[in-house]
Amino acid sequence: MTNSISSLRILPAEITPPDATAAAARGGEEQDSFLSTLQQSMDAVEGAQGEAQNQVAQLLSGQGADVHSAMIAVEKADLSFQLMMQVRNKIVQAYQQVSNMQF
Amino acid sequence: MNLFSMLELSGSALGAERMRAEVVAANMANAQTTRTAAGGPYRRQMVVFQSQSRPRFSLALNSLSHENPAAVRVAAVVGDARPFVMRFEPGHPDANAQGYVAYPQVDPIEEMTDLLSAVRAYELNASAVQATKNMIQQSLNLLQ
Repeated sequence: MTNSISSLRILPAEITPPDATAAAARGGEEQDSFLSTLQQSMDAVEGAQGEAQNQVAQLLSGQGADVHSAMIAVEKADLSFQLMMQVRNKIVQAYQQVSNMQF
Repeated sequence: MNLFSMLELSGSALGAERMRAEVVAANMANAQTTRTAAGGPYRRQMVVFQSQSRPRFSLALNSLSHENPAAVRVAAVVGDARPFVMRFEPGHPDANAQGYVAYPQVDPIEEMTDLLSAVRAYELNASAVQATKNMIQQSLNLLQ
């Protein structure tokens, strides 16, 4: 159990600076904080997309939102979403690697 | 994420340049306005830009990160202090006792060059946004 959880640590290690030795030691605790980090990042992405939708709606209804700020909000939402997709792909890869481990 | 703060920085510059172009357009539109709500002819407007650091509550965090980028904002829209242009038009309803009418001191050449400069600056900052977006996409490609 500890081994599979600590080998899931390879996922954030590809994104953040790796700290392999400490990761093996922290093991089970990191599972919770990693999931909560993922949750936070998903909430942030949702927030960014909502903000972008608001700005574009204001722009289209003529309520005086600047064109450039609406475009930048849409761009930020898009980039956050792409980052989340990449993170998700890495998680899935890591899970598949773990589940393919034979004994 | 500091790359996003670059986007906001360029966004503030885009807003400031748009305001500058708007003021120039207002000047051009009111180049012959001899009557305003405050009385007297239209006074040519100019924008004053000011750089501002984004407010941070933790100065220690500031010193740890790299240099704080300075966003641009429009500090004030002030009237030009130059005297009005007086033209001799005795039949004009706004003429003074000597028959002179005060016109705004709007020079079309000056306004056109200001407008061109504002448009160029807008394009400059738009390409900065484009470059930032490319940089972020490149860093996301590292994950693939």
